[in-house]
Amino acid sequence: MILWDGNNILIQIHSLISFLINNIRRDINRWSIYTIVLIFLLAIPIITIGFKLFLGPGESWNHLVENVLLEYSFHTVILSIGCIILTAALGVSSAWIVSRYEIPISGSLEWMLILPLAIPSYITAYAYAGIFDYGGVLSQVLGLKNFKIDIMNIYGLIFVLSVSLFPYVYLSTRAVFLYQSNRLIEASKLLGASEIKTFFRVVLPMARPAIIGGLFLVIMEVLNDYGAAKYFGISTFTTGIFRSWFSLAEPSTAIYLSSLLLLIVFTLMFLERKQRGNKSFSDNLEEKVRLPKIHVSKPRLVVLSCLILIPISLGFIIPLIQLLIWGFLTYSNVFTASFFSIAMESVGIAMMTGFITLFCALLILYFPQWNRLILLKKSSKIAIIGYAIPGAIIAIGVMIPSLALDKWLIKIANELFNNHLGLLLNGTIIILIYAYVIRFMAVAFNPLEAGQLKISKQLSESSQLSGKGRIRTFLKVDYPLLKTSMLSAFILVFVDIMKELPLTLILKPYNVNTLAVKAYEYASDELILESSIPSLCIIFSGMIPIILLNKLILK
Amino acid sequence: MALEILLNIKDLQKSYTKGSPVLKIDELSIEKGKTTAVVGESGSGKTTLMRLIAGLESPDKGSIISQGKIYTNEKYLLPPNKRHIGMVFQDHALFPHLTVFKNLAYGLPDQNNSKEAIRELLNLVALDGLENRYPHELSGGQQQRVALARALAQKPKILILDEPFSNLDVSLKIQLRDEIFTILKKTNITTLFITHDMNDAKYIADEIVVLKDGQMIQKGGINVLYNKPSNLYIASLFSEIIVLNLSILECFNFTTQKQKVYAIRNQDFVLNSDAEYQTEGTLLNSKYQGTHYLNTIKISNQYTFKLSTQQILKGTVKIGFFESDLLVFDHQQA
Repeated sequence: MILWDGNNILIQIHSLISFLINNIRRDINRWSIYTIVLIFLLAIPIITIGFKLFLGPGESWNHLVENVLLEYSFHTVILSIGCIILTAALGVSSAWIVSRYEIPISGSLEWMLILPLAIPSYITAYAYAGIFDYGGVLSQVLGLKNFKIDIMNIYGLIFVLSVSLFPYVYLSTRAVFLYQSNRLIEASKLLGASEIKTFFRVVLPMARPAIIGGLFLVIMEVLNDYGAAKYFGISTFTTGIFRSWFSLAEPSTAIYLSSLLLLIVFTLMFLERKQRGNKSFSDNLEEKVRLPKIHVSKPRLVVLSCLILIPISLGFIIPLIQLLIWGFLTYSNVFTASFFSIAMESVGIAMMTGFITLFCALLILYFPQWNRLILLKKSSKIAIIGYAIPGAIIAIGVMIPSLALDKWLIKIANELFNNHLGLLLNGTIIILIYAYVIRFMAVAFNPLEAGQLKISKQLSESSQLSGKGRIRTFLKVDYPLLKTSMLSAFILVFVDIMKELPLTLILKPYNVNTLAVKAYEYASDELILESSIPSLCIIFSGMIPIILLNKLILK
Repeated sequence: MALEILLNIKDLQKSYTKGSPVLKIDELSIEKGKTTAVVGESGSGKTTLMRLIAGLESPDKGSIISQGKIYTNEKYLLPPNKRHIGMVFQDHALFPHLTVFKNLAYGLPDQNNSKEAIRELLNLVALDGLENRYPHELSGGQQQRVALARALAQKPKILILDEPFSNLDVSLKIQLRDEIFTILKKTNITTLFITHDMNDAKYIADEIVVLKDGQMIQKGGINVLYNKPSNLYIASLFSEIIVLNLSILECFNFTTQKQKVYAIRNQDFVLNSDAEYQTEGTLLNSKYQGTHYLNTIKISNQYTFKLSTQQILKGTVKIGFFESDLLVFDHQQA
């Protein structure tokens, strides 16, 4: 018979707690403290929005539920499903063709397939709206004056977002296809399967986690989109947040909508992690060897080349040509002194934020590793969650606590110095940069982490055993070996900030403007031709560093 | 003269998953100026022990103290850069962006005034003239010697060699083992040598610590470990062991004691000459192996042994052993 020995259990619990406290006390170091502070600073918007979910919505919530919530949800779901299907088809097929078949210019095609990412989706939307409109390129080519295809609907939006975002699926899938096990493909063929059957039965199932990973990024971008949906007049969760915030002047409803969207994002993140699970989708039989390419006949080569050129043309070449035509027609009106100052401001903000984000990403990468508490070792994953959260949510999540802090500072200043201060943080560049850092932390973190993984852990251990502290070890060992990754991280953040729209629209100081906002303002004012110049500036500012980086990495 | 203890380890425990410690050492002391080999199979906890001593991991429990200076205990953890421990890693861990000279000078406080010391070290490891090369311009053996020189450059209290020969081919390994042995003797540095190969440990170490499943099962000089192994596992680290059950021993007319396990080293069997206990066996086959013959011999029509001889055997064979060559363990020990 087992007797309940309460005392013994209490003693055991007590010894376990004192053991844990002793270990924490022994293992905690300054890096643990810095890690906690950093994680907290980066998690503030998520904590704020999450907290607001429990406080309930504002007064106009009922009106929203009765009239538009269903429409927001329906459009968001249809948009997501449509984009999943189309981006998967474009991304997977192009990734398979460039990795599997011998195409003469496949080297160039491989990186050209990434180029649609250089054009923000709202700019692609402007371009296509123009192409299919009355007097647009299509009607001129067909010679029909009163011809128009109405793409300003949800299907048009699915098309536009898909041709802009398919490179996410292409990139993640190509990485898997390139190193797909040839043995498994050969085994499948020896068992009598055709090339097509092998693709669907062996290759595709093995690439499933990568495809879903890419699709997850696509959905996040679809949920983040404001500019294209607004221009096409499609109500989604994100446009709803803006509408509640600006048109209905109901911040609490906007916040509640954001909380719901955040809940959807976290559910998707959870599902994405769960689908990866512990299943092994890799064949460990052989070392990483590139999949040998198949030689194809000329007619087949033509078909395959066309299949790749279609997404490149739709996502990059066609919108770029349209923008160039518009730019040629309007550059003399747009290129003014104030435009140059906006361009300089844009570049300046992107560069400054790029450096700050890079610096913070380094801290987020190294501090948890330098800390000794096991609990905090993997905490950097929390800090990079911002990339999955739509910009509008981050903007609101940053604005609420900063307003509260501002109010508190004003009150203190009034009481202590009888000094009537204005807002110190809100409406300043500091808050905008802070929000950018949270949003794009993952963009800087991932290349740094990948770069660090290539550096043997024993190098830094060896340095420490030589008597060097953490920071000197970083400066003398990690930094010289991590330079290229740091440059990649900086460039990627720079490009993303140049393109960012919804977060900037909410948080930008009234006297500051960016090229993305300028393009949006022109388009909103029905000056679609003029919007091409800031759009082209964004595209080229994104393309040039990416091409330079590509060359640097290949060197 | 009592030997000075440099490192004292007590109740040390480390686990990566709850409830299953990968290392659990009650007490271990390392003597100053000696080379101690830590031997064990992969997963035995030898790398964890080394990392805990170096401060690269923190233990769950226990203490490591070096001459009164606490490296770690329940409340305190000295960072690795303050322990004065030099380490040669398995894959050398040379800084790829630094020359040989700069790798050696890395841990030295004043690099400009250390030129002479570095030259001497290069001379010690026979790498004169290679100071301006980068690690990728060196052979595997040269890289290993640079790693050793770099660890020695700081004049550490303890030098840890982590499986230094595991990535080298046999001939290079033997040459490098000789060189390292000579260097360790010249410098008289306290060394912890981590290896899975008893032959390397036998060659280099003054003392050997054997780890199995995270626990220390025996510590001692090569004589103690060879002649008085605490169990069958340790005995088997030196050569092939044949466990002799009661029926086999009966064939040799050997009277056994209860609760004992008997074993013998393969080479301790005596063939075709007088032994204390012997019987007749039938030679089933004899295969020439280049340096010796490998014979399969059957006794009492049921037990077969594979024994090596220098001469070819034929027909019926006399097979026997001396009682002093038997390894006897208690049941639990074995």
